[in-house]
Amino acid sequence: MSTQYSILFKQEHAHDDAIWTAAWGKSEADGSETIVTGSLDDMVKVWKWSDEKLELQWTLEGHQLGVVSVDISHNGAIAASSSLDAHIRLWDLESGKQIKSMDAGPVDAWTVAFSPDSKYIATGSHLGKVNIFGVESGKKEYSLDTRGKFILSIAYSPDGKYLASGAIDGIINIFDIATGKLLHTLEGHAMPIRSLTFSPDSQLLVTASDDGYIKIYDVQHANLAGTLSGHGSWVLNVAFSPDDTHFVSSSSDKSVKVWDASSRACINTFFDHQDQVWSVKYNSTGSKIISAGDDRAIHIYDCPM
Amino acid sequence: MASFGWKRKAGERVSKSVVQQFEAEAERAEGDEPGGQAEEEVDWLHAIKRRRELLLEDCAAKSKRLKDEGALLAEKGRHWEAIKKWDEAIQLTPDNPLLYEMKSQVLTILQEVFPAVKAAEMAVKFRPLWWEGWQTLGRAQLNLGEVDLAVRSFQVAIHLCPSEHTLWQEDLAWAWRLQKQHSATKEKIRQEEETKKQILNAPELEQDYDFESDEVLAACVAVAERQTRYEELKRTAVVIDSEGNIKNVVSGEGGSEDTATPSKEQFVKARGL
Repeated sequence: MSTQYSILFKQEHAHDDAIWTAAWGKSEADGSETIVTGSLDDMVKVWKWSDEKLELQWTLEGHQLGVVSVDISHNGAIAASSSLDAHIRLWDLESGKQIKSMDAGPVDAWTVAFSPDSKYIATGSHLGKVNIFGVESGKKEYSLDTRGKFILSIAYSPDGKYLASGAIDGIINIFDIATGKLLHTLEGHAMPIRSLTFSPDSQLLVTASDDGYIKIYDVQHANLAGTLSGHGSWVLNVAFSPDDTHFVSSSSDKSVKVWDASSRACINTFFDHQDQVWSVKYNSTGSKIISAGDDRAIHIYDCPM
Repeated sequence: MASFGWKRKAGERVSKSVVQQFEAEAERAEGDEPGGQAEEEVDWLHAIKRRRELLLEDCAAKSKRLKDEGALLAEKGRHWEAIKKWDEAIQLTPDNPLLYEMKSQVLTILQEVFPAVKAAEMAVKFRPLWWEGWQTLGRAQLNLGEVDLAVRSFQVAIHLCPSEHTLWQEDLAWAWRLQKQHSATKEKIRQEEETKKQILNAPELEQDYDFESDEVLAACVAVAERQTRYEELKRTAVVIDSEGNIKNVVSGEGGSEDTATPSKEQFVKARGL
């Protein structure tokens, strides 16, 4: 437990090319912490985080044209990954074997996200549809239509009630999952929304856009609760801390910023990457942050608790 | 140091007190430390800074004018003249990615494949988040025959702007197909070499045999089989038909004619890029 923000670990040259995505999960079975990264080099790598070190566990081959997004199921057993060739693959993290490969059709897989019960995977498509795949069935179960543009980002609310999607034209849609109805359409940004995330209590939605701003919405009333500036370029990823107090953002200005959720002030900036930082995530307790980007490096930071 | 000439240039424009102060300072500086570097440097910087500001404004405006002139020339098909204009503009504003990107496109038209790649590389260096720069780089790399690099550039472009259909349908699909065809050909050559190597250093030849036994016979059969496999491989050719499908065809009886016809359509397409 540290009292200030600091960089804890650097894994240089983690992939052979730019790292586009990363996820941090915790196994329910043995409590071990797993990090999954996906890269332009077509590889998905599984790392174990133990004794303040990263150890490469599996290198998963199969994707083509670059891995765009990865996510880990909430019990920490399965990883999902998607690539530019529009395939979604499911991997068993224990054995490193591929469980399923799903062809989402041309251009129909971008960000992948597990539902809170980990039975479904949601992904956006170029026609503005959110496709929901069954983890068991490996098939498309149903889809939600935003009637909008290419969906870059997807997030489930942790309470399982809502699904939010961010489109390339800056429009945010929030669905009620139980009824499949479109609840709110927010015209928050005028530029692509590369990432969005719910707060752990599902009350707030944080969005990151190419316009350089981060916006916070009150989910129930669809009100804009705040606009944050600070990044000098596109904001590429945002993630909420599990204790509801902070969130973290990464940007193509090479920085990673930690924000206080109540005061909405930037409380720390990491300037350790050499290039664009595409992905940033918290671990399950909120004590660590992982970031990865075009410089092929994975960084782990310590957070005060 | 004695002939140091700011006084003359500054002349009437600078108030007397400032000049005196400057001189005094210069003298003092000379007095304390042998080069008097520190203070002189400060003054140099000021003088240069002011001038550069003036110059920069002019540069930007002139560069823009040259850029527009170049664009007009390029539209009229006067490609070399356009490039000359843009080169001049680049001299004035060396960090403007637009200039490099336009130059790369025109160099591609002129079949100056390597300079086109160099120019596009500068464009993405100065503006790495600009998908059009990456698209132009990918196209230039494809013209140079660097298929793997081109595919990567198109991937980066798509990652920046996935809603752009031309990137998916024209650029990436086409480059990816070429990449697959290329790797099929490479795989064939690899196989051929592997088999050849095995004939020359057959593992069977390294053993000691009892010449009375059947082992010798078995070894001879194995060597012979390998030889036929090699012959077969040499006779087959990787053929890519007009739809871009990859086939292994045994040449000899009319097979070679097939290889001549295959991808006319595709070459036409490549030229249109």
